[in-house]
Amino acid sequence: MKAITVICAAALTTVSFSQDHSGHEMAGMKKQTELPAMPKDMPGWLRAPGADHLFYKAAPYNWAINRIPKFAKDMYATGVGHAMAYEALVRGETSTLETKTFNEINWVLKHQPAMPVDEGAISPTFLRKYGYLEKVFDWAHTLHFQTIDVFAHPGWTDEQKELEIERLWAFYEAQPYAITGLPMNMDYLDSFSYSMKFRTDYPKVNGLFWGYHWLQTVNYDMLYMVPVKDQAPQYEVLGARYHETELYKTDRDFMPMAAEMSPRFAKRFPQIANAFDNLHMLHDNVNDILAQPQLTEVQKQEQVKIAIYRVLGTTHKGEKAAESEGKENTLHDHRHPPSMPGMGWMKGSEDDIMWMSGMGWMDMSACSHCSIPMPEGNPWGATVSAEGWTMMVRCLMCARDMAGETPGRAIIRAATNDPNRLLVLISDEEGNWTSNIDSVVFLEKYGEHPECSGWSRAFTTLSALEKYVAENPEYKETKPLKLAEWAALNHGTPDTYRKIDKPNPYKSGPPPANGGSR
Amino acid sequence: MKLILISSALLLSSLALASDHNNVEAGRPLRFDDAYSIAFRERAFEFGVSLDTFRRRGPSYGNKTELKYGFAKNQDISIAFEPTYSSATRTGDAGNVEIGYFNGFRREIDNSPALAYRVDVGLPTGRGAKGLDLRFRGIATKALGQYDKVHFNLDLNMNTSPGPGERRHTVGAVLGYSKPLGYPRRFDQTLVADFAIQQSRNQGEGYVGSVGLGLRRQINPRSVFDIGVTTDLFSTQGAERSPFRLSIGYSVSF
Repeated sequence: MKAITVICAAALTTVSFSQDHSGHEMAGMKKQTELPAMPKDMPGWLRAPGADHLFYKAAPYNWAINRIPKFAKDMYATGVGHAMAYEALVRGETSTLETKTFNEINWVLKHQPAMPVDEGAISPTFLRKYGYLEKVFDWAHTLHFQTIDVFAHPGWTDEQKELEIERLWAFYEAQPYAITGLPMNMDYLDSFSYSMKFRTDYPKVNGLFWGYHWLQTVNYDMLYMVPVKDQAPQYEVLGARYHETELYKTDRDFMPMAAEMSPRFAKRFPQIANAFDNLHMLHDNVNDILAQPQLTEVQKQEQVKIAIYRVLGTTHKGEKAAESEGKENTLHDHRHPPSMPGMGWMKGSEDDIMWMSGMGWMDMSACSHCSIPMPEGNPWGATVSAEGWTMMVRCLMCARDMAGETPGRAIIRAATNDPNRLLVLISDEEGNWTSNIDSVVFLEKYGEHPECSGWSRAFTTLSALEKYVAENPEYKETKPLKLAEWAALNHGTPDTYRKIDKPNPYKSGPPPANGGSR
Repeated sequence: MKLILISSALLLSSLALASDHNNVEAGRPLRFDDAYSIAFRERAFEFGVSLDTFRRRGPSYGNKTELKYGFAKNQDISIAFEPTYSSATRTGDAGNVEIGYFNGFRREIDNSPALAYRVDVGLPTGRGAKGLDLRFRGIATKALGQYDKVHFNLDLNMNTSPGPGERRHTVGAVLGYSKPLGYPRRFDQTLVADFAIQQSRNQGEGYVGSVGLGLRRQINPRSVFDIGVTTDLFSTQGAERSPFRLSIGYSVSF
């Protein structure tokens, strides 16, 4: 009798929650009221009983992440954090998630394991219930680690590394558990009846998840085309930020996106940046589903499978980025900002303009400091990392002045005359800069901003600067600047800067006091 | 020379290389397997030494070197070499070469155990060996509480050409237990224990019952150190017992 009652109750709940418009015919940007229905073409592997453990691609660079020990340990700890939270969620320990579980995770985040952990062993209950989901997570996490290993490997040129990253993507994509590298409509993926439950009810643990995802995406610009010896010093800045702030933020509007954290990498490897964003959105969907007390166990299993289905590569086979006419705001909406193929469509986006949490409305096609379009052909003059964000700017002057406007430590990564030598500048709290190139000299002849990428440049040697000046006689009267001289300059906010005054799309009510901008 | 250099390089790179302390395999260090194969495309090298003592004769020393390859999802093949040296007779024996196949066909799902089987064929390469030693092992792994696991192995052994006074068929069973140590603060070691019963190969002798205790510890992302001790608790009908057996091993994946 009890069984019949339970079944009837479950059936009634199912009716009240489910059967929408095929699960992927989205109704605008409004939150859906019904549960997505099971698609008819669910892949067979979701029912396969095997554990299907996969080994990573055998290569000489494996575990090169350990060359940056603090970063490696923080990355290993993220695995523990994920696993402990999932184990608590599926064991019904939600009442202590923000206290006991949070504290246990936090202890590990502060006392990180020295080696990678077996997430399945830490979350055995979760694994028994959602083993198919673990396959997707594990495989994507393998891609995370191996791409990092490639960049941290000291034995290869940048060109070799880029080729290997492409091969790693092909290796990853060949498995049925692979997540699509197409940009997805994030607003759509966050619009289900269960969406936002986890971040609302468990903001501290959700903050940890988003902190992990910050770390897992911010590192790529720290590594990409950066000499191996110059990688670890940057982590002194980023690691401190991670531990002091990013892990404990509970006021983010949305999860960190790869292109916000590592724009150079996302532009070069959009398929990987998109796959990581889609993975992180799958984490959010799963968290929301598991945190829904109204759902039965059967419904949770179904909804997790549907969430997996939505982001699988096989679901989007044959589809192309940016080709979404007639499919806007659906599962098959693969629009992206025109100047950033490594990011899906965000809430309130218009072409290249999007809301970035902590920064406000930004135009991804323009310099974040002077608002002038980024130069064609040279996709980045420099990037600035500060206060948890990374922004692309046209020139070194914009980078320095933007960093100067921002409290705390900062990192500038800039192109030099030598395409194989990236300049990495790191500032302390007082704005004193150190350089990875001892002989660096700067050219700065303040003029019109639209030409700033011509008159604000860095050179690896004085002779390289002199050669440039010889080819560009308009700078022959300009004095070469040493690092300290260059760092002492500041031209403030340029008059070309245009802030975009629109309200935060993630919050109702009037725009914030700062006008919704930095 | 080139071969030696390549072999040395492979071994050195392997030293920096990944097995998993949670993935328990027979011999490393106790006698039971869990129901999971090594990963697809994983290559594993396992090396162990053992000391076996007996009441009626001197100790014997053994080595087991095994290479495994995950040739398909949930399936691996292996080749193992097990030379021994007996101090009582002062003779060494190259031992039989074992070819193995493992199939972990079901993971643990909800309350159903993970299931696997393995088949090993011992080739008669050892001193005085005849015929083939065949072993079929059925394996089940199931959670016990939150993190602990129990593992049940059931063995059916057959020798195609038994010697005088030897049985053609023998049976055995192992009940294993594994427990991660240090949760929720450390995640790099697993305690293992087992209780095994094995039928003697000699006709007229009965069963030997033994218990073992061991530890598997992750050394780096790719390698695991293990140590275990076993003692035979009882025997029936005069079957020979070993009061103390020590096993130390090292496994790497690459």
